[in-house]
Amino acid sequence: MKKRITAFLLGLGILLLCLLMDTRTWDPLRNQGKLTRYTATFLDVFDTRTELVGYAKTEEEFTAIAEKIKEKLMHYHRLYDIYQSYEGINNLRTINEQAGIAPVEVDTEMIDLLKFAVEMQEMTSGKVNIAMGSVLAIWHRYREHGVEDPEDARLPSLGELEEAAGHTDPKALIIDEAAGTAYLADGKMSLDVGGIGKGYAVQRTAEYIKELGMENFLLSVGGNVYAAGTKADGSHWTVGITNPDKDSREPYVETVKAEDICVVTSGDYQRYYTVDGKNYCHIIDPNTNFPAEYVSSVSIITKDSGVADALSTAVFNMPAKEGKAFIETLEGVEAMWVLKDGTLQYSSGFSVYAQ
Amino acid sequence: MKKTGKNDLLLIVVLLTGALIAGAGMWFARGTGTLDGVAVVTVDGEVYGRYPLKETWEERIELADGSYNYLVIKDGKADILEASCPDRICVNHRPIEKGNQSIVCLPNKLIVTVENGEVSQVDSQTY
Repeated sequence: MKKRITAFLLGLGILLLCLLMDTRTWDPLRNQGKLTRYTATFLDVFDTRTELVGYAKTEEEFTAIAEKIKEKLMHYHRLYDIYQSYEGINNLRTINEQAGIAPVEVDTEMIDLLKFAVEMQEMTSGKVNIAMGSVLAIWHRYREHGVEDPEDARLPSLGELEEAAGHTDPKALIIDEAAGTAYLADGKMSLDVGGIGKGYAVQRTAEYIKELGMENFLLSVGGNVYAAGTKADGSHWTVGITNPDKDSREPYVETVKAEDICVVTSGDYQRYYTVDGKNYCHIIDPNTNFPAEYVSSVSIITKDSGVADALSTAVFNMPAKEGKAFIETLEGVEAMWVLKDGTLQYSSGFSVYAQ
Repeated sequence: MKKTGKNDLLLIVVLLTGALIAGAGMWFARGTGTLDGVAVVTVDGEVYGRYPLKETWEERIELADGSYNYLVIKDGKADILEASCPDRICVNHRPIEKGNQSIVCLPNKLIVTVENGEVSQVDSQTY
């Protein structure tokens, strides 16, 4: 009889153990505190999707902080806008409109961005150049038209591209820190921070979020991902690198372990237009004035989101071999390439982050 | 009673098997999510509709200005099959089935997300 009871108790014990392994009782968030994970999505900043993942005690608390973050991003959006003017602020459009006419008084944050852009231009030997606005504007016009009316999609003429490329010398951008002004000495030049603006804004906004007291969060503005701290349970964030091959069953080519690090990708598969069956992406190689066609995508991992954004654009404008050699000269920067045939290539230290 | 009887052994086997099945069941339920996923569509921040993923459903989501997104719920996934937007990023997007995943149509300010259900292991993505 005793044995029967022992066996019964044993069985009961195993059942209880199984019950204990149910997700609810193991959920660390439930056990450690009352923090819940929330996600806020906005579509009104930088013409892309912004996602904020964070933890808060209540939804109200999270929404309140998300609103502040959105305001901050909107501020950068207005500042870097080249298409619209806003009352009470001088933005990039103002500087472009005053090219060859007069210096424009701007916010110190604009001065900081422009200085950073010049720094990145020098670091990448001009592979990312915010003074390329005139060339980018031509491609923007043709792309918009080609997307709206695919039957009539066309390529810009070499002549008009070369004419515009004659007005892209970053030395014509005169930053006067003491006076707080920016001036384009070449009247036909214009600025476009498409290759670095979002990343720079993410960096600044992430610093602002930390000032607000949030330490563990994930901020993504159009795929410029800033992973702050860890998840609430202490595990790292996971960032997927999108597979350029849309027909593949695998949504990601790689997943990255992210903790206090930024991941940014530049690719040819999302923003492009098609002319005679060939896709032309939105990233323009300063050397050819044509869309870069070296690789499908480049992803950069580094501490600073602005640097990550600038480097992903610059390295996308280089053949993989040249890009790899360049990345290896930089400290604290890792990169991954998806080549046109789908092959993956990694910088020497990337494996630390690979999942 | 010094020897374990056949009945005792049988009882042990039955109980162990039962516990294993129960355990396996819970493990499985844990893996696939104990709650059924629901696709939530928002337009300009307002909830437009909720669609259980286990059902099959097709809907042309019409917006005030005449633009539209064609939503299909099938095989436990939500997908946009057609849309009036020129960039077609939402149409090109893969179907979604897990929490943390979303399809966004920027021109139409439409977002499809998944509530409940299994949560994706990936927290965010670059593109």
